[in-house]
Amino acid sequence: MTSKEKIQQEIEQTLQCLDGVKRAESNPFLFTRIQARMAKKDGAWERTFSFISKPIIAMAILLLVMAVNGWALLGSGSNDNTNGDSANVSELANEYNVVASVDNYDYENLTNE
Amino acid sequence: MTNETELIEQLKRGDETAFKAIVEQWKDMVHNTILGIVQNETEAEDLAQDVFIKVFEKINTFKGDSKFSTWLYRIATTTALDHLRSKKRKKRFGFLQSLGGGNDEKESIPDFHHPGVSLDNKERAAVLFKAIDSLPENQKTAYTLHKLEGLSYRDVSEVLNTTVSAVESLMSRANQNLRKELEEYYNKHYR
Repeated sequence: MTSKEKIQQEIEQTLQCLDGVKRAESNPFLFTRIQARMAKKDGAWERTFSFISKPIIAMAILLLVMAVNGWALLGSGSNDNTNGDSANVSELANEYNVVASVDNYDYENLTNE
Repeated sequence: MTNETELIEQLKRGDETAFKAIVEQWKDMVHNTILGIVQNETEAEDLAQDVFIKVFEKINTFKGDSKFSTWLYRIATTTALDHLRSKKRKKRFGFLQSLGGGNDEKESIPDFHHPGVSLDNKERAAVLFKAIDSLPENQKTAYTLHKLEGLSYRDVSEVLNTTVSAVESLMSRANQNLRKELEEYYNKHYR
């Protein structure tokens, strides 16, 4: 028998080796494992994480956080200046006991106040 | 009403006992089908769990137009093939990563041993399974369902939602491809 014939014989035998193969048996505790997986899946945290981890939701949350940050930075920047200015002025006024806007006519009434 | 139909109706109402009965009745069939496709015991077990969870969640979409086992085979084969696709994607990504650090890809040796194969055919079957792994998806599915699950061409055609002649053609091409793979293997390894 030539080596080519031998190889052909091997191929035929290999192709037939699954004839009469038995069915592989699954884990006897498969149902218990399924139950555990389903219980875990039903958990509130699991549901929350699976919802958050969806790409579209994750992207939307990221954009929202970035938008809120941007708004906070730009918005609070201009407000901070005015608030800061008025706070400084009133601080100074308190420190030096300055009575606000006293004009000439009021000098006469100073003792009445 | 048959026992099977009754179980399905009960499961549609969310009956856990019916679900348990369904899992117990079909778990080996699902496991064996997935195992033939993914060729890994641990992955097959996890995927079998996925299949039954899908059954529980999607049972209301089962209209009874096909046999329940056909529907179950469809979920099992789709789940297994999806898993292989995602594994392939990860492998490709890993390969790209390894390009930077040098690629030392080695020739893989047949290492999957199906537990249902007799001891004297063990090595031979491992070689055949490696060849099966190289088949295109539809040929692999048809071959697995026919050879490992013992389904007739008609039953395979129902699972794959195609005609019997299409399955015949798939099986013929699968056999041709397997011969080619095996010839290559034995030319390299036969002494």
